[in-house]
Amino acid sequence: MEFIIRSSKESVVKILTVDDSKSVRHMIGMTVELLGYEVLEAENGVEGLMVLEEHAKDVVMILLDWNMPEMDGLTFLKKVKADDRFKHIPVTMVTTETERVKMIEAIRCGAKTYVAKPFSQEMLVAKISECLGMGF
Amino acid sequence: MGSVITDQEFQLLRDYIEKHCGISLDRNKMYLIESRLNTLMIENGCENYNALYRKASSDTTNGLRDKIIDAMTTNETLWFRDNGPYNSLRDLLSVYSSEFRSGKRAKLRIWSSACSSGQEPYSIAITILESGIRPEQVEIIATDISSTVLFMAKLARYDAIAINRGLSPEMRDRYFTSEGRVWKLADKVKQMVTLKKMNLQESFASIGKCDIVFCRNVLIYFSEAFKRDIFSRLAALLRPSGYLFIGASESLSTYSNEYSMVKGSHGIYYQVK
Repeated sequence: MEFIIRSSKESVVKILTVDDSKSVRHMIGMTVELLGYEVLEAENGVEGLMVLEEHAKDVVMILLDWNMPEMDGLTFLKKVKADDRFKHIPVTMVTTETERVKMIEAIRCGAKTYVAKPFSQEMLVAKISECLGMGF
Repeated sequence: MGSVITDQEFQLLRDYIEKHCGISLDRNKMYLIESRLNTLMIENGCENYNALYRKASSDTTNGLRDKIIDAMTTNETLWFRDNGPYNSLRDLLSVYSSEFRSGKRAKLRIWSSACSSGQEPYSIAITILESGIRPEQVEIIATDISSTVLFMAKLARYDAIAINRGLSPEMRDRYFTSEGRVWKLADKVKQMVTLKKMNLQESFASIGKCDIVFCRNVLIYFSEAFKRDIFSRLAALLRPSGYLFIGASESLSTYSNEYSMVKGSHGIYYQVK
């Protein structure tokens, strides 16, 4: 399986977006590149884990949808946080799931921050910069 | 569905938001607090909006306060927004240009007071470069209350959607270079702008005297009293005969008599009396 890696020449570190919507991955990818990072894309949790297997040492953050085929975001999150190779990578949920109990569940399972869809570019930048300690 | 905000929680957070950033929210904006602060509430382990308010109020680092302000501010922006103000600025620059040539003027200082992700101050800088005035003759100060948009302005990198909002392909190609899917602003434009974090409720002393102030599309979010206060302090900050640009849908007449209306050929702006 081939994964999409969009890159700008200067960037060295990568942010993984796991989302079954191509348009959401596109918007996230644009924002990630604005910040000078490369974006890795996966369509579901299974693909996401495969990408991590290959690129874990370069991935500094994961932006994760909840509802996806094959493997949903919460299952993926639990697997990432249970794996010593990946558990240090901050995860931000980017999802339409805004029910309080679900949001709390995701945070308890290790998600660092949460973005509710639909989201603005500023909102995404705020969460990424918070997770990665960047900012003005 | 996210957590529902109660009347009491709305009042607490409405007052907190107005106190810290001036944004005045009517009761019909309850949904805005609910939708924009819901994730912050969960991320911070708060049971409800009341707990979020208490946590923010007792947070001595102001980190949570800044996140709340960030979430509540609206950052609609584009290049050369409404065009008219920038055409008027171009007219004013031709006057300033003569003053530079005759030695009557040493510096031109312009303040973009709610600069968002940079489109306004960088549009001002581009207008100046196009006028022939040298960058070293001008100081552009750009401020905003939101750290996130200031960070974006500092990066000065824009995606295809942002770059095409108000910018002609000619101007884009003259002042930006493409890097993959990103458009990067030329350093010579970026270097003309000094970015600072600032809450308009605070003293303007750190800004210094200015010849022109852009305070566009920001006052609509503020209370009547705060608008009066800001216009009065801006009048004091402007140099004699300095100019103020406000948003196309905004009006000054009910808030201040310290300015004269200038009906320019490209639209209305104001001159301090």
